[in-house]
Amino acid sequence: MATTVIEREPLDIEAAEPVKALPALRVSPDVCLRVDHEGFARLCSLNGDLRLELQADGTLVVMSPASSNTGRQNALLTTRLTMWNEAAKLGVAFDSSAGFTLPDGSVLGPDASWIRRDRWDSLGPDDRDGFARIVPDFVAELRSPSDSLQKVREKMRGYLSQGVRLGWLIDPRSKIVEVYRPGRDVETLTAPKQVSGGDVLPGFTLDLAGILHDEA
Amino acid sequence: MTTTTTIERERTDIQADPGPPPGATLLIPADVRMIVAHDDFERLCAANRDLRLELEADGTLIVMTPASTDGGGRELTLGAQLWNWSKANGQGKAFGPSAGYTLPDGSVKAPDASWIRRERLDALPREERDRFARIVPDFAAEVRSPSDGLNEVRAKMAAYIAHGVRLGWLIDPIRRTVEVYRPGREPETLTAPKSLSGEDVLPGFTLDLADILD
Repeated sequence: MATTVIEREPLDIEAAEPVKALPALRVSPDVCLRVDHEGFARLCSLNGDLRLELQADGTLVVMSPASSNTGRQNALLTTRLTMWNEAAKLGVAFDSSAGFTLPDGSVLGPDASWIRRDRWDSLGPDDRDGFARIVPDFVAELRSPSDSLQKVREKMRGYLSQGVRLGWLIDPRSKIVEVYRPGRDVETLTAPKQVSGGDVLPGFTLDLAGILHDEA
Repeated sequence: MTTTTTIERERTDIQADPGPPPGATLLIPADVRMIVAHDDFERLCAANRDLRLELEADGTLIVMTPASTDGGGRELTLGAQLWNWSKANGQGKAFGPSAGYTLPDGSVKAPDASWIRRERLDALPREERDRFARIVPDFAAEVRSPSDGLNEVRAKMAAYIAHGVRLGWLIDPIRRTVEVYRPGREPETLTAPKSLSGEDVLPGFTLDLADILD
């Protein structure tokens, strides 16, 4: 909720100025645009309906809203993570709208993520209200029909190289989950019913019904 | 009329067929600097026919909305006179505001009106002319619109001249002035002129500025 209010403020200020039509640029995935951090933040505030990410080299990633089905699967993922977190009270869970600035300068928004309480509490309010400079302890990416598997895998490896301790690549199309952990080979689970959060998310087991399997 | 309509529809159909997925539509504020490679710039242009896009030498993308109604009228008034003269003169070809050129520094610019001598144009391969041809027009004119910063348009004119444009006009209806740019000379500012001479670059051409400066 807090984030929503903050995002609206700059828009209200702009509305007070004379209205100028902003050009709307169609960007296909094969076009590489680069912006700096400031420009990225401006683009995010003006394009609230899009999901934007910034890669370490300044490449802008523009994603249209997710498909209905991907959004449904994402809701299940985030809800189950949040319900565990509400009970365990060990940290903070995030949905897909949260963006984080990683040490390499990239700004990424995992489909679901989680940060240990003490690490989150150490952040200043300005940082929390922006794209916080913190690496989530846990991230999950849900591959949507339009995502290339190779690109999502690269993204997962990128998270790991930046300090993420547990990553799940959930691919409903091929019904696999790839588990990423530092210093270990990627573990591929084929059509698992559930996946364990291990020592990063103690006591959390994600039920994959409705996410990887249709019985929801 | 009927013929024209049919041709336009045919083209639309051809384009709609193999067209790439539309991707997402991004609102671009003027103060955000975006960098794009030359090839990607061409793809952006193909996907954004309704916008005016230019590329700076350093890769900065310039995104402009369509011109205002009055601005489009001024451009046509300028272009129509240039075309009429060029047709009668026969020594070259006139181009409108959608013609883009790749300048020697890698920038891609589209002056509001331009003209190129016939023999220079004929020396260009066909496929080059179908893209943003690597050629510097002999003549380039810009009509300043209310959203154009004066410094930006001046810098654009100076860049045209630096790259080999032999005559440039910055027509500024806001200040009711015309700045005339020529190689090796300081820009000359004319206040509320009635007409402009094409000098030795556009021999015999006189631009009537009524409906352009007014």
